[in-house]
Amino acid sequence: MKFDALIIGGGRSGSAAGRALLSRGLHVCVVADGLHLGVDGADPYAHLNALAREGATVLRGDRALRGIWEEGRLRAVQTVKLEDEPIEASVFVLATGKFFSRGLLSDMERVYEPVFGADVSFLSGRSNWYAADFFAPQPFLDFGVQTDPEGHVLFGGVPCPNLYAVGGILAKGAAAADPARISLSTQD
Amino acid sequence: MQEFNISEGNLEQCLKCNLCTLVCPMMQVNEYYPGPKKAGPDGERYRLKDPDYYDYALKYCLNCKRCEVSCPSGVKVGDIIQAARLKYAGHNLRDFVLASTDLVGSLSTPFAPIVNATLKARPVKAVLHTVMGVDAQRKFPSYSQKTFTRWFRKASVPGGEADQSGFERFVRFYHGCYVQYNYPQLGKDLVKVVNAAGYGVRLLEGERCCGVALISNSFGRQATRQARANIAALQQAVAAGEDIVTVSSTCTFTLRDEYPNVLHLDNAAVRPHLTLLSRWLCRQGPLPFRKDLHLRIAYHTACHMQKLGWRSYTLQLLRQIPGVEVIELEPRCCGIAGTFGFKKENYAWSQAIGQGLFDAIREIAPDYVVTECETCKWQIEMSTGVPVLNPVSLLAMSIV
Repeated sequence: MKFDALIIGGGRSGSAAGRALLSRGLHVCVVADGLHLGVDGADPYAHLNALAREGATVLRGDRALRGIWEEGRLRAVQTVKLEDEPIEASVFVLATGKFFSRGLLSDMERVYEPVFGADVSFLSGRSNWYAADFFAPQPFLDFGVQTDPEGHVLFGGVPCPNLYAVGGILAKGAAAADPARISLSTQD
Repeated sequence: MQEFNISEGNLEQCLKCNLCTLVCPMMQVNEYYPGPKKAGPDGERYRLKDPDYYDYALKYCLNCKRCEVSCPSGVKVGDIIQAARLKYAGHNLRDFVLASTDLVGSLSTPFAPIVNATLKARPVKAVLHTVMGVDAQRKFPSYSQKTFTRWFRKASVPGGEADQSGFERFVRFYHGCYVQYNYPQLGKDLVKVVNAAGYGVRLLEGERCCGVALISNSFGRQATRQARANIAALQQAVAAGEDIVTVSSTCTFTLRDEYPNVLHLDNAAVRPHLTLLSRWLCRQGPLPFRKDLHLRIAYHTACHMQKLGWRSYTLQLLRQIPGVEVIELEPRCCGIAGTFGFKKENYAWSQAIGQGLFDAIREIAPDYVVTECETCKWQIEMSTGVPVLNPVSLLAMSIV
Protein backbone atom coordinates (compact mmCIF):
# COMPACT_ATOMS: atom_id res chain seq x y z
CA MET A 1 0.00 0.00 0.00
CA LYS A 2 1.27 3.42 -0.90
CA PHE A 3 -0.09 6.83 0.09
CA ASP A 4 0.85 10.50 -0.07
CA ALA A 5 0.61 10.83 3.70
CA LEU A 6 0.53 8.28 6.50
CA ILE A 7 -0.80 9.51 9.84
CA ILE A 8 0.30 7.36 12.74
CA GLY A 9 -2.38 7.77 15.40
CA GLY A 10 -6.13 8.29 14.99
CA GLY A 11 -6.84 10.51 17.99
CA ARG A 12 -7.89 14.14 18.00
CA SER A 13 -4.64 15.48 16.47
CA GLY A 14 -4.16 12.62 14.00
CA SER A 15 -7.75 12.95 12.75
CA ALA A 16 -7.39 16.73 12.40
CA ALA A 17 -4.12 16.33 10.47
CA GLY A 18 -5.77 13.68 8.27
CA ARG A 19 -8.69 15.95 7.43
CA ALA A 20 -6.41 18.91 6.72
CA LEU A 21 -4.32 16.82 4.33
CA LEU A 22 -7.38 15.25 2.67
CA SER A 23 -8.75 18.72 2.02
CA ARG A 24 -5.51 19.52 0.20
CA GLY A 25 -6.15 16.61 -2.13
CA LEU A 26 -3.69 14.14 -0.63
CA HIS A 27 -4.17 10.38 -0.59
CA VAL A 28 -4.20 9.74 3.16
CA CYS A 29 -3.94 6.65 5.37
CA VAL A 30 -4.47 6.73 9.15
CA VAL A 31 -3.21 3.96 11.44
CA ALA A 32 -5.63 4.26 14.35
CA ASP A 33 -4.77 2.07 17.31
CA GLY A 34 -7.88 1.00 19.18
CA LEU A 35 -11.48 1.69 18.31
CA HIS A 36 -11.68 4.85 20.35
CA LEU A 37 -10.68 8.44 19.99
CA GLY A 38 -9.30 8.78 23.47
CA VAL A 39 -10.44 8.79 27.06
CA ASP A 40 -12.08 12.16 26.54
CA GLY A 41 -13.82 11.10 23.31
CA ALA A 42 -17.54 11.50 23.88
CA ASP A 43 -18.26 10.25 20.37
CA PRO A 44 -15.46 7.75 19.86
CA TYR A 45 -16.15 6.86 16.26
CA ALA A 46 -17.19 10.17 14.76
CA HIS A 47 -13.81 11.56 13.72
CA LEU A 48 -12.49 8.35 12.19
CA ASN A 49 -15.78 7.64 10.44
CA ALA A 50 -15.76 11.13 8.95
CA LEU A 51 -12.22 10.58 7.71
CA ALA A 52 -13.17 7.25 6.13
CA ARG A 53 -16.23 8.83 4.48
CA GLU A 54 -14.07 11.60 3.05
CA GLY A 55 -11.79 9.07 1.38
CA ALA A 56 -8.99 8.29 3.85
CA THR A 57 -7.96 4.69 4.39
CA VAL A 58 -8.38 4.12 8.13
CA LEU A 59 -6.59 1.09 9.56
CA ARG A 60 -8.52 0.70 12.81
CA GLY A 61 -7.07 -1.36 15.59
CA ASP A 62 -3.63 -1.45 14.04
CA ARG A 63 -0.41 -0.12 15.54
CA ALA A 64 2.83 1.11 13.96
CA LEU A 65 5.77 -1.11 14.88
CA ARG A 66 8.81 0.44 13.25
CA GLY A 67 10.01 2.63 10.42
CA ILE A 68 11.85 1.52 7.30
CA TRP A 69 14.47 4.08 6.31
CA GLU A 70 16.26 4.91 3.09
CA GLU A 71 19.02 7.50 2.84
CA GLY A 72 17.88 9.53 5.86
CA ARG A 73 14.23 9.54 4.83
CA LEU A 74 11.42 7.44 6.17
CA ARG A 75 10.23 5.20 3.34
CA ALA A 76 7.57 3.03 5.00
CA VAL A 77 6.08 1.95 8.30
CA GLN A 78 5.52 -1.63 9.37
CA THR A 79 2.38 -2.31 11.43
CA VAL A 80 1.31 -5.15 13.71
CA LYS A 81 -1.61 -6.34 11.56
CA LEU A 82 -0.21 -5.88 8.06
CA GLU A 83 2.95 -7.71 9.18
CA ASP A 84 5.31 -8.12 6.24
CA GLU A 85 3.63 -5.48 4.06
CA PRO A 86 4.91 -2.05 5.11
CA ILE A 87 2.83 1.03 4.28
CA GLU A 88 4.77 3.39 2.02
CA ALA A 89 4.18 7.15 1.92
CA SER A 90 5.82 10.40 0.86
CA VAL A 91 5.30 12.04 4.25
CA PHE A 92 4.54 10.69 7.71
CA VAL A 93 2.86 12.37 10.67
CA LEU A 94 3.48 11.05 14.17
CA ALA A 95 0.35 11.60 16.27
CA THR A 96 0.47 8.77 18.78
CA GLY A 97 -0.12 10.90 21.89
CA LYS A 98 1.64 10.65 25.22
CA PHE A 99 1.75 7.90 27.82
CA PHE A 100 -1.78 6.49 27.96
CA SER A 101 -1.87 5.81 24.23
CA ARG A 102 1.73 4.55 24.36
CA GLY A 103 3.06 7.26 22.10
CA LEU A 104 5.72 7.59 24.80
CA LEU A 105 7.02 4.79 26.99
CA SER A 106 9.29 4.88 29.98
CA ASP A 107 11.56 2.60 31.96
CA MET A 108 13.46 3.37 35.16
CA GLU A 109 16.00 5.63 33.44
CA ARG A 110 14.41 7.18 30.38
CA VAL A 111 11.36 8.21 28.43
CA TYR A 112 11.38 7.12 24.80
CA GLU A 113 9.34 7.12 21.61
CA PRO A 114 8.92 3.43 20.69
CA VAL A 115 8.18 3.43 16.94
CA PHE A 116 11.07 5.43 15.50
CA GLY A 117 13.30 6.18 18.49
CA ALA A 118 12.91 9.95 17.97
CA ASP A 119 14.59 12.48 20.28
CA VAL A 120 12.55 12.88 23.45
CA SER A 121 13.06 15.62 26.01
CA PHE A 122 12.73 14.52 29.65
CA LEU A 123 14.34 15.23 32.99
CA SER A 124 17.08 12.92 34.18
CA GLY A 125 16.39 11.08 37.43
CA ARG A 126 12.99 9.43 37.65
CA SER A 127 12.19 11.15 40.95
CA ASN A 128 12.21 14.46 39.08
CA TRP A 129 9.41 13.32 36.77
CA TYR A 130 6.67 13.81 39.37
CA ALA A 131 5.67 16.62 41.72
CA ALA A 132 4.82 15.39 45.22
CA ASP A 133 1.80 17.66 45.33
CA PHE A 134 -0.82 15.87 43.25
CA PHE A 135 -2.41 19.17 42.18
CA ALA A 136 0.87 20.83 41.15
CA PRO A 137 1.90 20.81 37.47
CA GLN A 138 3.46 17.39 36.78
CA PRO A 139 6.82 17.61 34.97
CA PHE A 140 6.25 14.38 33.01
CA LEU A 141 3.40 16.03 31.14
CA ASP A 142 5.91 18.35 29.48
CA PHE A 143 8.03 15.46 28.16
CA GLY A 144 7.75 14.63 24.50
CA VAL A 145 9.21 14.40 21.03
CA GLN A 146 11.48 17.20 19.87
CA THR A 147 11.00 18.95 16.54
CA ASP A 148 12.63 21.71 14.52
CA PRO A 149 10.72 25.01 13.97
CA GLU A 150 8.90 23.48 10.98
CA GLY A 151 7.70 20.47 12.94
CA HIS A 152 10.16 17.89 11.55
CA VAL A 153 10.95 15.20 14.12
CA LEU A 154 14.56 15.24 15.37
CA PHE A 155 16.92 12.27 15.53
CA GLY A 156 20.17 12.99 17.36
CA GLY A 157 19.35 16.67 16.78
CA VAL A 158 19.00 16.19 13.00
CA PRO A 159 15.53 16.77 11.48
CA CYS A 160 13.99 13.99 9.37
CA PRO A 161 12.76 15.68 6.16
CA ASN A 162 9.53 13.68 5.82
CA LEU A 163 8.48 12.84 9.40
CA TYR A 164 6.41 15.40 11.29
CA ALA A 165 4.80 15.37 14.72
CA VAL A 166 1.53 16.82 15.97
CA GLY A 167 -0.54 16.75 19.16
CA GLY A 168 0.16 15.32 22.58
CA ILE A 169 3.39 13.57 21.70
CA LEU A 170 5.19 16.90 21.30
CA ALA A 171 7.45 18.16 24.07
CA LYS A 172 6.38 21.40 25.71
CA GLY A 173 7.33 24.23 23.36
CA ALA A 174 8.11 21.94 20.38
CA ALA A 175 6.69 23.17 17.08
CA ALA A 176 3.76 21.25 15.62
CA ALA A 177 3.76 20.64 11.89
CA ASP A 178 1.57 22.86 9.75
CA PRO A 179 -0.64 20.91 7.28
CA ALA A 180 0.28 23.30 4.48
CA ARG A 181 3.99 22.55 5.06
CA ILE A 182 3.34 18.78 5.21
CA SER A 183 1.31 18.88 2.03
CA LEU A 184 4.01 20.85 0.22
CA SER A 185 6.71 18.41 1.24
CA THR A 186 4.95 15.52 -0.56
CA GLN A 187 6.30 17.16 -3.70
CA ASP A 188 9.93 16.97 -2.49
CA MET B 1 9.71 -4.15 36.64
CA GLN B 2 6.38 -4.15 34.75
CA GLU B 3 7.92 -5.25 31.47
CA PHE B 4 9.36 -8.41 33.05
CA ASN B 5 6.13 -9.29 34.82
CA ILE B 6 4.33 -11.24 32.10
CA SER B 7 0.95 -12.59 33.09
CA GLU B 8 -1.56 -14.72 31.20
CA GLY B 9 -3.27 -12.48 28.65
CA ASN B 10 -1.24 -9.51 29.91
CA LEU B 11 -3.81 -9.03 32.65
CA GLU B 12 -1.56 -7.06 34.99
CA GLN B 13 -1.25 -4.33 32.33
CA CYS B 14 -4.92 -3.36 32.75
CA LEU B 15 -5.17 0.27 33.87
CA LYS B 16 -8.95 0.06 34.50
CA CYS B 17 -9.57 2.72 31.85
CA ASN B 18 -12.77 0.96 30.74
CA LEU B 19 -12.32 1.66 27.04
CA CYS B 20 -13.15 -2.03 26.53
CA THR B 21 -16.40 -1.49 28.40
CA LEU B 22 -17.17 1.45 26.11
CA VAL B 23 -16.88 -0.64 22.93
CA CYS B 24 -18.42 -3.90 24.23
CA PRO B 25 -21.63 -4.54 22.24
CA MET B 26 -23.11 -6.68 25.02
CA MET B 27 -22.69 -3.91 27.60
CA GLN B 28 -25.07 -1.73 25.61
CA VAL B 29 -28.01 -4.13 25.93
CA ASN B 30 -27.52 -6.60 28.79
CA GLU B 31 -27.44 -5.41 32.39
CA TYR B 32 -26.49 -8.90 33.63
CA TYR B 33 -23.14 -8.90 31.84
CA PRO B 34 -20.38 -7.51 34.06
CA GLY B 35 -18.45 -6.16 31.06
CA PRO B 36 -15.06 -7.08 29.60
CA LYS B 37 -12.92 -5.39 32.24
CA LYS B 38 -14.72 -7.02 35.15
CA ALA B 39 -15.19 -10.37 33.39
CA GLY B 40 -11.62 -10.37 32.03
CA PRO B 41 -8.63 -8.97 33.93
CA ASP B 42 -10.52 -8.01 37.12
CA GLY B 43 -12.28 -11.34 37.42
CA GLU B 44 -9.15 -13.33 36.57
CA ARG B 45 -7.39 -12.01 39.67
CA TYR B 46 -10.19 -13.45 41.79
CA ARG B 47 -10.38 -16.70 39.82
CA LEU B 48 -6.66 -17.23 40.34
CA LYS B 49 -7.31 -17.14 44.07
CA ASP B 50 -10.38 -19.34 44.02
CA PRO B 51 -12.24 -20.84 41.02
CA ASP B 52 -15.51 -20.35 42.91
CA TYR B 53 -15.30 -16.72 41.90
CA TYR B 54 -16.13 -17.77 38.33
CA ASP B 55 -19.17 -15.76 37.29
CA TYR B 56 -21.61 -17.59 35.00
CA ALA B 57 -22.53 -14.25 33.41
CA LEU B 58 -19.31 -14.67 31.40
CA LYS B 59 -21.45 -16.76 29.04
CA TYR B 60 -22.74 -13.45 27.67
CA CYS B 61 -19.35 -12.58 26.14
CA LEU B 62 -19.73 -12.65 22.34
CA ASN B 63 -16.01 -13.35 21.78
CA CYS B 64 -16.07 -10.47 19.29
CA LYS B 65 -12.64 -9.25 20.58
CA ARG B 66 -13.61 -5.60 20.22
CA CYS B 67 -12.32 -5.20 23.79
CA GLU B 68 -8.88 -6.34 22.66
CA VAL B 69 -8.84 -4.09 19.63
CA SER B 70 -9.71 -1.11 21.83
CA CYS B 71 -7.30 -1.84 24.72
CA PRO B 72 -4.47 0.71 24.74
CA SER B 73 -2.42 -1.50 27.07
CA GLY B 74 -2.40 -4.71 25.03
CA VAL B 75 -4.49 -6.72 27.50
CA LYS B 76 -5.98 -9.81 25.86
CA VAL B 77 -9.33 -9.19 27.48
CA GLY B 78 -11.35 -11.50 25.24
CA ASP B 79 -8.78 -14.30 25.49
CA ILE B 80 -8.85 -14.12 29.29
CA ILE B 81 -12.64 -14.49 29.25
CA GLN B 82 -12.53 -17.35 26.72
CA ALA B 83 -9.84 -19.17 28.72
CA ALA B 84 -11.95 -18.85 31.88
CA ARG B 85 -15.01 -20.19 30.09
CA LEU B 86 -13.03 -23.14 28.72
CA LYS B 87 -11.80 -23.89 32.22
CA TYR B 88 -14.91 -23.42 34.31
CA ALA B 89 -18.11 -23.20 32.23
CA GLY B 90 -20.45 -26.13 31.72
CA HIS B 91 -22.39 -27.04 28.59
CA ASN B 92 -25.42 -29.06 27.51
CA LEU B 93 -26.65 -31.14 24.57
CA ARG B 94 -27.87 -28.02 22.72
CA ASP B 95 -24.42 -26.48 22.93
CA PHE B 96 -22.83 -29.73 21.68
CA VAL B 97 -25.14 -29.90 18.65
CA LEU B 98 -24.58 -26.23 17.78
CA ALA B 99 -20.81 -26.49 18.22
CA SER B 100 -20.26 -29.78 16.36
CA THR B 101 -20.43 -28.33 12.88
CA ASP B 102 -18.48 -31.15 11.21
CA LEU B 103 -20.57 -33.89 12.80
CA VAL B 104 -23.95 -32.23 12.23
CA GLY B 105 -22.95 -31.09 8.73
CA SER B 106 -21.81 -34.54 7.60
CA LEU B 107 -24.98 -36.15 9.00
CA SER B 108 -27.26 -33.53 7.41
CA THR B 109 -25.90 -33.15 3.87
CA PRO B 110 -26.92 -36.63 2.60
CA PHE B 111 -30.52 -35.85 3.63
CA ALA B 112 -30.35 -32.11 2.90
CA PRO B 113 -33.83 -31.64 1.33
CA ILE B 114 -35.50 -33.43 4.25
CA VAL B 115 -33.36 -31.70 6.90
CA ASN B 116 -33.94 -28.26 5.36
CA ALA B 117 -37.70 -28.75 5.11
CA THR B 118 -37.87 -30.15 8.63
CA LEU B 119 -35.92 -27.25 10.15
CA LYS B 120 -38.37 -24.81 8.56
CA ALA B 121 -41.49 -26.61 9.89
CA ARG B 122 -43.21 -24.74 12.70
CA PRO B 123 -43.82 -27.78 14.94
CA VAL B 124 -40.13 -28.72 14.66
CA LYS B 125 -39.10 -25.16 15.47
CA ALA B 126 -41.42 -25.20 18.49
CA VAL B 127 -39.86 -28.44 19.74
CA LEU B 128 -36.33 -27.13 19.15
CA HIS B 129 -37.26 -23.95 21.01
CA THR B 130 -38.85 -25.67 24.00
CA VAL B 131 -36.78 -28.81 24.36
CA MET B 132 -33.40 -27.83 22.89
CA GLY B 133 -33.36 -24.08 23.60
CA VAL B 134 -32.76 -23.07 19.98
CA ASP B 135 -34.80 -19.98 19.23
CA ALA B 136 -37.81 -20.54 16.96
CA GLN B 137 -37.44 -17.10 15.36
CA ARG B 138 -33.95 -17.90 14.06
CA LYS B 139 -33.67 -19.04 10.46
CA PHE B 140 -31.29 -21.95 9.96
CA PRO B 141 -28.82 -21.92 7.09
CA SER B 142 -29.77 -24.55 4.51
CA TYR B 143 -27.62 -27.62 4.00
CA SER B 144 -26.35 -28.51 0.55
CA GLN B 145 -27.03 -31.97 -0.81
CA LYS B 146 -23.50 -32.21 -2.14
CA THR B 147 -20.46 -31.12 -0.14
CA PHE B 148 -17.87 -28.81 -1.67
CA THR B 149 -15.13 -31.46 -1.61
CA ARG B 150 -17.39 -33.96 -3.37
CA TRP B 151 -17.99 -31.42 -6.13
CA PHE B 152 -14.30 -30.53 -6.34
CA ARG B 153 -13.09 -34.11 -6.55
CA LYS B 154 -15.60 -35.16 -9.18
CA ALA B 155 -13.53 -35.70 -12.32
CA SER B 156 -15.94 -34.24 -14.88
CA VAL B 157 -16.85 -30.84 -13.32
CA PRO B 158 -15.37 -27.69 -14.86
CA GLY B 159 -13.13 -25.98 -12.28
CA GLY B 160 -12.80 -29.20 -10.30
CA GLU B 161 -9.63 -30.97 -9.24
CA ALA B 162 -8.90 -32.39 -12.70
CA ASP B 163 -8.96 -28.90 -14.23
CA GLN B 164 -6.43 -27.62 -11.69
CA SER B 165 -3.58 -29.77 -12.98
CA GLY B 166 -2.98 -27.34 -15.85
CA PHE B 167 -1.52 -24.72 -13.49
CA GLU B 168 2.11 -24.41 -12.50
CA ARG B 169 1.55 -22.61 -9.20
CA PHE B 170 -0.89 -23.58 -6.47
CA VAL B 171 -2.56 -22.40 -3.30
CA ARG B 172 -4.29 -24.61 -0.75
CA PHE B 173 -7.87 -23.81 0.17
CA TYR B 174 -9.08 -24.11 3.76
CA HIS B 175 -12.80 -24.21 2.94
CA GLY B 176 -14.32 -24.45 6.43
CA CYS B 177 -17.71 -25.92 7.38
CA TYR B 178 -19.92 -23.30 5.75
CA VAL B 179 -18.48 -23.89 2.28
CA GLN B 180 -18.37 -27.63 2.81
CA TYR B 181 -21.88 -28.31 4.12
CA ASN B 182 -24.00 -25.22 3.49
CA TYR B 183 -22.82 -23.19 0.53
CA PRO B 184 -20.37 -24.96 -1.83
CA GLN B 185 -20.95 -22.20 -4.38
CA LEU B 186 -18.62 -19.96 -2.34
CA GLY B 187 -15.86 -22.55 -2.74
CA LYS B 188 -16.54 -22.72 -6.48
CA ASP B 189 -16.31 -18.92 -6.58
CA LEU B 190 -12.91 -19.08 -4.87
CA VAL B 191 -11.66 -21.60 -7.41
CA LYS B 192 -12.80 -19.31 -10.26
CA VAL B 193 -11.06 -16.25 -8.76
CA VAL B 194 -7.82 -18.08 -7.88
CA ASN B 195 -7.69 -19.62 -11.36
CA ALA B 196 -8.21 -16.14 -12.87
CA ALA B 197 -5.20 -14.98 -10.85
CA GLY B 198 -3.12 -17.72 -12.52
CA TYR B 199 -2.98 -20.27 -9.70
CA GLY B 200 -4.45 -23.72 -9.30
CA VAL B 201 -6.32 -24.79 -6.15
CA ARG B 202 -5.50 -27.77 -3.98
CA LEU B 203 -7.32 -28.95 -0.88
CA LEU B 204 -5.73 -29.69 2.48
CA GLU B 205 -5.34 -33.27 3.58
CA GLY B 206 -7.43 -33.87 6.69
CA GLU B 207 -8.95 -30.42 7.18
CA ARG B 208 -11.32 -30.16 10.15
CA CYS B 209 -13.67 -27.44 11.40
CA CYS B 210 -11.58 -24.60 12.87
CA GLY B 211 -13.31 -25.18 16.20
CA VAL B 212 -14.45 -21.64 16.97
CA ALA B 213 -17.88 -22.85 18.04
CA LEU B 214 -16.30 -25.51 20.24
CA ILE B 215 -14.13 -22.86 21.89
CA SER B 216 -17.01 -20.48 22.54
CA ASN B 217 -19.18 -23.32 23.87
CA SER B 218 -16.41 -24.47 26.23
CA PHE B 219 -15.50 -27.76 24.53
CA GLY B 220 -11.78 -27.24 25.03
CA ARG B 221 -10.64 -30.84 24.58
CA GLN B 222 -12.50 -31.32 21.30
CA ALA B 223 -11.36 -27.91 20.03
CA THR B 224 -7.73 -28.78 20.81
CA ARG B 225 -8.01 -32.11 19.01
CA GLN B 226 -9.37 -30.40 15.89
CA ALA B 227 -6.80 -27.63 16.09
CA ARG B 228 -3.94 -30.17 16.20
CA ALA B 229 -5.34 -31.92 13.12
CA ASN B 230 -5.63 -28.59 11.30
CA ILE B 231 -2.12 -27.46 12.21
CA ALA B 232 -0.78 -30.78 10.84
CA ALA B 233 -2.76 -30.30 7.62
CA LEU B 234 -1.54 -26.72 7.24
CA GLN B 235 2.06 -27.80 7.90
CA GLN B 236 1.89 -30.16 4.92
CA ALA B 237 0.90 -27.26 2.66
CA VAL B 238 3.64 -25.01 4.02
CA ALA B 239 6.19 -27.80 3.52
CA ALA B 240 5.08 -27.94 -0.13
CA GLY B 241 5.78 -24.19 -0.39
CA GLU B 242 2.11 -23.26 -0.83
CA ASP B 243 0.09 -20.48 0.81
CA ILE B 244 -3.24 -21.37 2.37
CA VAL B 245 -6.20 -19.16 1.45
CA THR B 246 -9.53 -18.85 3.23
CA VAL B 247 -12.88 -17.16 2.68
CA SER B 248 -14.12 -16.80 6.28
CA SER B 249 -12.77 -14.12 8.62
CA THR B 250 -13.72 -16.14 11.70
CA CYS B 251 -12.04 -19.37 10.55
CA THR B 252 -8.93 -17.37 9.63
CA PHE B 253 -8.84 -15.57 12.96
CA THR B 254 -9.35 -18.83 14.88
CA LEU B 255 -6.64 -20.73 13.00
CA ARG B 256 -4.17 -17.86 13.33
CA ASP B 257 -4.88 -16.37 16.75
CA GLU B 258 -7.21 -18.48 18.91
CA TYR B 259 -4.99 -21.56 18.54
CA PRO B 260 -1.93 -19.95 20.17
CA ASN B 261 -3.71 -17.47 22.46
CA VAL B 262 -6.62 -19.51 23.80
CA LEU B 263 -5.72 -23.16 23.13
CA HIS B 264 -1.98 -22.58 23.69
CA LEU B 265 -0.97 -24.50 20.57
CA ASP B 266 2.09 -23.58 18.56
CA ASN B 267 1.08 -22.54 15.03
CA ALA B 268 4.03 -20.20 14.39
CA ALA B 269 5.26 -22.20 11.38
CA VAL B 270 1.95 -21.98 9.53
CA ARG B 271 0.46 -18.68 10.75
CA PRO B 272 2.26 -16.37 8.29
CA HIS B 273 1.20 -18.56 5.33
CA LEU B 274 -2.49 -18.58 6.19
CA THR B 275 -4.47 -15.64 4.83
CA LEU B 276 -7.81 -14.48 3.57
CA LEU B 277 -8.13 -14.59 -0.20
CA SER B 278 -8.55 -10.80 -0.44
CA ARG B 279 -5.17 -10.22 1.23
CA TRP B 280 -3.53 -12.85 -0.96
CA LEU B 281 -5.05 -11.31 -4.11
CA CYS B 282 -3.63 -7.87 -3.27
CA ARG B 283 -0.17 -9.39 -3.80
CA GLN B 284 -1.12 -10.75 -7.23
CA GLY B 285 -1.61 -9.03 -10.58
CA PRO B 286 -4.87 -7.34 -11.62
CA LEU B 287 -7.92 -9.53 -12.23
CA PRO B 288 -9.72 -9.52 -15.63
CA PHE B 289 -12.82 -7.56 -14.54
CA ARG B 290 -15.99 -7.23 -16.60
CA LYS B 291 -17.10 -3.70 -17.36
CA ASP B 292 -20.87 -4.16 -17.45
CA LEU B 293 -21.71 -4.34 -13.74
CA HIS B 294 -23.85 -1.68 -12.05
CA LEU B 295 -24.00 -2.48 -8.34
CA ARG B 296 -24.20 -0.56 -5.09
CA ILE B 297 -22.76 -2.56 -2.22
CA ALA B 298 -22.33 -1.88 1.49
CA TYR B 299 -19.26 -3.44 3.15
CA HIS B 300 -19.77 -4.71 6.70
CA THR B 301 -16.63 -5.23 8.81
CA ALA B 302 -17.20 -8.42 10.81
CA CYS B 303 -15.79 -8.25 14.36
CA HIS B 304 -13.12 -10.87 13.65
CA MET B 305 -12.21 -9.02 10.46
CA GLN B 306 -11.75 -5.93 12.61
CA LYS B 307 -9.51 -7.98 14.90
CA LEU B 308 -7.49 -9.27 11.92
CA GLY B 309 -7.13 -5.64 10.74
CA TRP B 310 -7.33 -6.60 7.06
CA ARG B 311 -10.46 -4.87 5.81
CA SER B 312 -8.38 -2.39 3.79
CA TYR B 313 -7.31 -5.27 1.51
CA THR B 314 -10.90 -6.20 0.76
CA LEU B 315 -11.98 -2.60 0.26
CA GLN B 316 -9.02 -1.99 -2.04
CA LEU B 317 -10.05 -4.98 -4.20
CA LEU B 318 -13.74 -4.18 -4.27
CA ARG B 319 -13.02 -0.59 -5.31
CA GLN B 320 -11.12 -1.91 -8.34
CA ILE B 321 -14.27 -3.51 -9.78
CA PRO B 322 -15.67 -1.28 -12.56
CA GLY B 323 -19.28 -0.23 -12.01
CA VAL B 324 -19.40 -1.18 -8.32
CA GLU B 325 -20.06 1.58 -5.79
CA VAL B 326 -18.63 0.59 -2.40
CA ILE B 327 -20.09 2.12 0.77
CA GLU B 328 -18.30 1.34 4.04
CA LEU B 329 -20.67 0.65 6.91
CA GLU B 330 -19.55 1.89 10.31
CA PRO B 331 -17.94 -1.15 11.98
CA ARG B 332 -20.55 -2.56 14.40
CA CYS B 333 -21.30 -5.99 15.77
CA CYS B 334 -24.28 -7.67 14.07
CA GLY B 335 -25.10 -9.50 17.31
CA ILE B 336 -25.22 -13.14 16.21
CA ALA B 337 -21.73 -14.11 17.38
CA GLY B 338 -21.78 -17.59 15.83
CA THR B 339 -23.92 -19.93 17.90
CA PHE B 340 -24.73 -17.27 20.54
CA GLY B 341 -27.69 -15.81 18.66
CA PHE B 342 -29.23 -19.24 18.01
CA LYS B 343 -29.79 -19.83 21.73
CA LYS B 344 -33.26 -18.81 22.82
CA GLU B 345 -32.07 -17.06 25.98
CA ASN B 346 -29.84 -14.80 23.82
CA TYR B 347 -32.07 -14.08 20.83
CA ALA B 348 -33.45 -10.73 22.04
CA TRP B 349 -29.98 -9.45 22.96
CA SER B 350 -28.58 -10.65 19.68
CA GLN B 351 -31.17 -8.66 17.73
CA ALA B 352 -30.85 -5.59 19.97
CA ILE B 353 -27.06 -5.48 19.42
CA GLY B 354 -27.48 -5.64 15.66
CA GLN B 355 -30.29 -3.06 15.45
CA GLY B 356 -28.00 -0.11 14.64
CA LEU B 357 -26.37 -2.07 11.81
CA PHE B 358 -29.72 -3.24 10.43
CA ASP B 359 -31.04 0.34 10.44
CA ALA B 360 -27.91 1.61 8.64
CA ILE B 361 -28.26 -1.11 5.97
CA ARG B 362 -31.97 -0.39 5.44
CA GLU B 363 -31.22 3.31 5.06
CA ILE B 364 -28.55 2.69 2.41
CA ALA B 365 -30.66 -0.01 0.68
CA PRO B 366 -27.70 -1.54 -1.23
CA ASP B 367 -27.99 -4.27 -3.84
CA TYR B 368 -25.81 -6.43 -1.61
CA VAL B 369 -24.12 -6.29 1.76
CA VAL B 370 -20.61 -7.72 1.49
CA THR B 371 -18.83 -9.34 4.42
CA GLU B 372 -16.36 -12.14 5.09
CA CYS B 373 -18.32 -13.70 7.96
CA GLU B 374 -20.96 -16.35 7.26
CA THR B 375 -22.82 -15.90 10.54
CA CYS B 376 -23.02 -12.12 9.98
CA LYS B 377 -24.54 -13.07 6.61
CA TRP B 378 -27.25 -15.18 8.25
CA GLN B 379 -28.02 -12.45 10.76
CA ILE B 380 -28.12 -9.58 8.25
CA GLU B 381 -30.17 -11.49 5.67
CA MET B 382 -32.66 -12.60 8.30
CA SER B 383 -32.95 -9.18 9.92
CA THR B 384 -32.89 -6.86 6.90
CA GLY B 385 -33.88 -8.95 3.89
CA VAL B 386 -30.86 -7.58 1.98
CA PRO B 387 -28.82 -10.37 0.32
CA VAL B 388 -25.27 -10.78 1.66
CA LEU B 389 -22.26 -11.91 -0.36
CA ASN B 390 -18.77 -12.93 0.59
CA PRO B 391 -16.29 -10.62 -1.23
CA VAL B 392 -15.01 -13.71 -3.05
CA SER B 393 -18.46 -14.29 -4.59
CA LEU B 394 -18.66 -10.65 -5.68
CA LEU B 395 -15.21 -10.95 -7.26
CA ALA B 396 -16.28 -14.16 -9.02
CA MET B 397 -19.35 -12.31 -10.38
CA SER B 398 -17.11 -9.47 -11.53
CA ILE B 399 -14.49 -11.33 -13.54
CA VAL B 400 -14.75 -12.43 -17.14
